[in-house]
Amino acid sequence: MRSPSTRLFVLLAGALFGAQAFAADPIKIGVYGPFSGGSSPMGLSMRNGVRLAADEINAKGGILGRKIELVDRDDQAVNERGAQVMQDLVSNEKVAAVLGPINTGVALASYKYPMEAKVPLLINVSAGAPVNELFKDYPDNYVFRIAAGDPIQAEMIVSEGVDKKKFKKVALLCDDTNYGQNGRQKMEDALAARKITPVYVGKFKIKDTDMTAQLQEARKAGAEAILAYGIGPELAQIANGMQKLGWRVPMIGSWTLSMSNFIDAAGPNGDGATMPQTFIQRGATSPKAKKFIADYQKKFTVERIPSAVSAAQGYDSMYVLAQAIEQAGGTEGPKIKAALEDLKKPYVGVIATWAKPFSKTDHEAVHREQVLMGVVGKGEVQPPTK
Amino acid sequence: MTDLLQLILSGVALGMIYALLAFGYSITFSTSRTINFAQGEFLMLGALTGLTAAVTWKLGYAGALFASALVGCVLGVVLEKAAIAPALKTRSAVSWILATVALGIIARNAAERIWGTDDVRFPAPLGDEPLTFLGVRVLPQELLVIGAAAVIMSGVELFLRKSIWGKAVTAVAADKDAAALMGINVPLVITFSFVLSSSIAAVSGVLVAPLTLAGATMGTLLGTKAYAVAIVGGLQSGLGVLVGGLLLGLSEQFTARYVSTGYKDTPGFVLLILILLVKPSGLFGKKTIKKV
Repeated sequence: MRSPSTRLFVLLAGALFGAQAFAADPIKIGVYGPFSGGSSPMGLSMRNGVRLAADEINAKGGILGRKIELVDRDDQAVNERGAQVMQDLVSNEKVAAVLGPINTGVALASYKYPMEAKVPLLINVSAGAPVNELFKDYPDNYVFRIAAGDPIQAEMIVSEGVDKKKFKKVALLCDDTNYGQNGRQKMEDALAARKITPVYVGKFKIKDTDMTAQLQEARKAGAEAILAYGIGPELAQIANGMQKLGWRVPMIGSWTLSMSNFIDAAGPNGDGATMPQTFIQRGATSPKAKKFIADYQKKFTVERIPSAVSAAQGYDSMYVLAQAIEQAGGTEGPKIKAALEDLKKPYVGVIATWAKPFSKTDHEAVHREQVLMGVVGKGEVQPPTK
Repeated sequence: MTDLLQLILSGVALGMIYALLAFGYSITFSTSRTINFAQGEFLMLGALTGLTAAVTWKLGYAGALFASALVGCVLGVVLEKAAIAPALKTRSAVSWILATVALGIIARNAAERIWGTDDVRFPAPLGDEPLTFLGVRVLPQELLVIGAAAVIMSGVELFLRKSIWGKAVTAVAADKDAAALMGINVPLVITFSFVLSSSIAAVSGVLVAPLTLAGATMGTLLGTKAYAVAIVGGLQSGLGVLVGGLLLGLSEQFTARYVSTGYKDTPGFVLLILILLVKPSGLFGKKTIKKV
């Protein structure tokens, strides 16, 4: 009869030995975004989407026989914090690749670390981050994106207002962050291409609660529509402010008009707000997308995904990355990058089927044809009517 | 003209919120020469407790006000015992500043754990349909904020001047040692002033939340602006904080409308710097001579 401690020892030794023998080191993937604050619906949905994909991949045996280990960090939508988080992920955690972030400023503050360390950064939400623009300074570009970038979004917003709805006088309202001002610039460019100057250009700050002054200006200038760029809570204050002033014109804006905190905080005042979307929960038709929604709802016990776009992009980005690592046959940055730029097997994703999403000169996976215009109604984002 | 009236109204509503919070600063400053830098966070805790009371427990808006006042009282006692009293004992200015700031951070983190990190809608008790006067559209909640702030501030001023308790507070504010010699329980009065100031902050939270959305980060900026208001108006003057609040609220609205939305906050803070240079005790503050 062996004593309990001997038995425990044998058990422990066995466990240790077993771990070494069977599981090769996990592949570490960094995930960063705002998991608190006004941007958190996007950050948390993105993280959950990534987790869902990683769990599915792990359940099927992982990548190259190795499990995925997600290292997630909250950047709190603070630019400096994003830079710290990224340094930590790249230098200390030594991740194979990074997924994220959400906020333009965070992306701007942090992209150079993975670039220097030759670790691919797959941006899955931020629309304002530079991607293809980086080739100029970094011919060996490690930044990729699976999300609709600002140039596409601004073009679609302007096209919706000017080409489709035939508005001649539009007012721009954008927040004063890198995101809002970048969007404003892109919208002005798109308007200029149509020989239109906005009748009013207004600015607001994060946490501003009263938009009276800006809306009065826009009304006085005779605006027929508001083109807005910002995040959920402040966009809701614009919608609520219009209701208060008794002046309601159509609101067309950045994809963030689909955020749960816009829809909830604006209530009926937000109905009709129109925005570019890569994914609409209500409009999902493909079996893959339907399964994704059902799995998400079950795993995270929610009915409406707080930011369905972020969740879907997070999910697809994890799978595309996994496929690239599989193809690369290892976790060295340059190899993964080369695989991403020449993905052999098309991946049937939630947003679209990604056949060669990237090339050596184009690191943007999403193009205009993958984006549609969603409309807020009945407390959620509705697919476009015809 | 209507545009102008509309702006004034929005500015006054905003200013009243600042004034109400700044009023809380002035109450504790007068008795203990200390300020609760977590005032904005107390407003936030009041709003979120009110939200739980009104929506989850279905106690209605009155229930929300009551719950927030209760939370404010408890917070006031905790704050005074944990952060202020030890600092007053050691006469250390640094320690109460750090302690109240720390308490604010703890409050914010706790709120994020309990209520999450999202900004949510607080149902307005009088509805969201604006009323129209002379072509000016105003939300019922804005009128409620202006009215309630006026009632609270004048009520407290009246209380301080007329009631025996209020006179005790005024006496401590005027001269702590003399008040103690007259048989006034000075520590109790100081605790009371913190209870009063904290519950005003918490109730303000329930008042402003239907206009601003409720969330763990709603109080930080309001707290900072109210602090500026208190400095501009004079920390020891009830009238001063009211004027300071209106000044800041109106200047924000007018700058946003007639100068640029980007410079909205500038005039208020330029005024703050000017006042600090020219009249550090504030527009309505009495000059205090510090005997060393």
